[in-house]
Amino acid sequence: MVGSRTKHSWQPKLVTLLGRVVTHGFLLLFSAIAIIPFVWLFFGTFKPYRELVSSSALLPVDWTLENYREIFTRLYFGRAFANSLILATASTLTTLLTSAATGFLFGRYQFWARDTLFSLILATMMIPGTLTMVPLYIFISNLGLVNSLYAIFVPGLWSTFGCFLMRQFIADLPVDMFDAARIDGAAEWMVFVRIVIPMAKSPLAALAVLTFLGSWDGFMWPLIVINDAKKYTLPLLLNSLRSLYWSRYELWAAGAMLTIAPVMLLYIFSSRFFIRGLAVTGK
Amino acid sequence: MQSQVRQETAPTLAAIGARARRIIRSPQFRFGIIILLPTLLFYWFFHYKLILEGFRLSVLRYNIQDPAKSLFVGLGNFESVMKHHLFMKSVGNTLSWSLLSFVIVLPLAMIISISLATLERMRQFYQACIFLPYVVSLLAVALLFKMLLDAEVGQVNRFLRDLGLPTSRFLASTSAALPTLVGVASWKRIGFYVILITAGMLNIPEEIYDAALVDGARGWTRFWKITFPLIARTQMLVGILLAIATLQVFTESFVLTEGGPANATYMYNMLLYNEAFMKLRFGPASAAALLQFIVIFAISMFQLKVLEPKWEY
Repeated sequence: MVGSRTKHSWQPKLVTLLGRVVTHGFLLLFSAIAIIPFVWLFFGTFKPYRELVSSSALLPVDWTLENYREIFTRLYFGRAFANSLILATASTLTTLLTSAATGFLFGRYQFWARDTLFSLILATMMIPGTLTMVPLYIFISNLGLVNSLYAIFVPGLWSTFGCFLMRQFIADLPVDMFDAARIDGAAEWMVFVRIVIPMAKSPLAALAVLTFLGSWDGFMWPLIVINDAKKYTLPLLLNSLRSLYWSRYELWAAGAMLTIAPVMLLYIFSSRFFIRGLAVTGK
Repeated sequence: MQSQVRQETAPTLAAIGARARRIIRSPQFRFGIIILLPTLLFYWFFHYKLILEGFRLSVLRYNIQDPAKSLFVGLGNFESVMKHHLFMKSVGNTLSWSLLSFVIVLPLAMIISISLATLERMRQFYQACIFLPYVVSLLAVALLFKMLLDAEVGQVNRFLRDLGLPTSRFLASTSAALPTLVGVASWKRIGFYVILITAGMLNIPEEIYDAALVDGARGWTRFWKITFPLIARTQMLVGILLAIATLQVFTESFVLTEGGPANATYMYNMLLYNEAFMKLRFGPASAAALLQFIVIFAISMFQLKVLEPKWEY
């Protein structure tokens, strides 16, 4: 009896075990494909040019920091890094503020034509950036902002997706919270700062990740409005590296690594947070 | 009679006035106006005015020195875009890109998601690895792959040679360049779609599976009869997002191949960019943008129609 039971159950067990091994193997393979290029890049930045283009070995034989030194001396790398950091930080902070405020307004207030106005705001999500690109360029150059970081910053003051996200969240918060605070005589901006913002921490955090990465990565629009090498953001600097130093792969490697590094460091410590933040875009 | 009417309306007007004053003086109103006015001004100047301007530019021969002297050319700009020697080429390339992306990304993202959903242990780890390329800068990834895929000195060809496998010229070959670019772009973005599909799968309530198990559905039957139809919505969403993203592809081909070799990777957005900002032909560029807008808007409307009723957070 016992024997037959074990005989019955080992077969599916083996099948599930086999299935599990295959699944893990498959996922390990894909994880490796996703990660190995970065590992190669990391070690590549410490290789001299000749080794970088000829050696199959992952680890450098001749460790060197020359590539990093050169990228800082030959190009305005430090400045591009600072520009990107300033731009991404400023964009993130303003987007959080405008999204939370607009979300609060449309999620909590009653006023004439509220829903129509909000639909008009949301409708802009369906407009591809290319349609407004040329008129925006004309507008920005009439404002005299070409070749300044404001040309990138100002058109992103409000994020439609951010407004949408925050409105959804704030509209679902319990009404009592707001009324209680108002009865206590809190001014409206106090309600906003003391109640709305702390309660909306998690969608705000997701939005912060999204906005920061979006700004850090922005390429097409900065390419159009920035020509001055001193005003370059990191993606523009990498692009110029490609055209000005078209075969200096060791410089490319160092530049790419330094652009990736801050985001990757943050990601290693809080990948779940990033994933949750970015997954809200489509869900 | 008349005085009576006056007496009746007068207090009403006063009441309306008082009510208006009360609203205007309320802290909510002041706060609301402080937020609403700049929001509306921003959306007018940075969205709606620009959209209208985009429509206007598409029928003008724009005079950069003196915009007021721009000539009305009707549909001339559309004609000039469609007769552009790279128009058909770029449309074809862009559609091929979308199609290839569908073929690569949808099944692969599906298989990876299914594998992830069946696991309890290590799921976070694999997810984090597969999602990593999506997080990092596209320009850095583009440079990285341009190095790796270099026909002569690239690591990938060296690796293939070491294994005794045939090598490819990748980005330097007219036939391989486009699939290579799509491969790089898919490598970069697949993690995002995997996260979406996995989230969709894990949201399927356990009770449905229990009920199915009672009915004797397990393994593949369970997958095809229950999991698959239930995540069809997520699949649809992924497909639509993929279509919208790939139709606007620019950076990958601009950085990795500059549209070459022999325009094999020349994308629609590159045509648009070159017309607008290299040749400063704002009219034809706006016409080209309008054509693209129509296609993407149609896809977005389709998305709303199919997905909106069940849209939730």
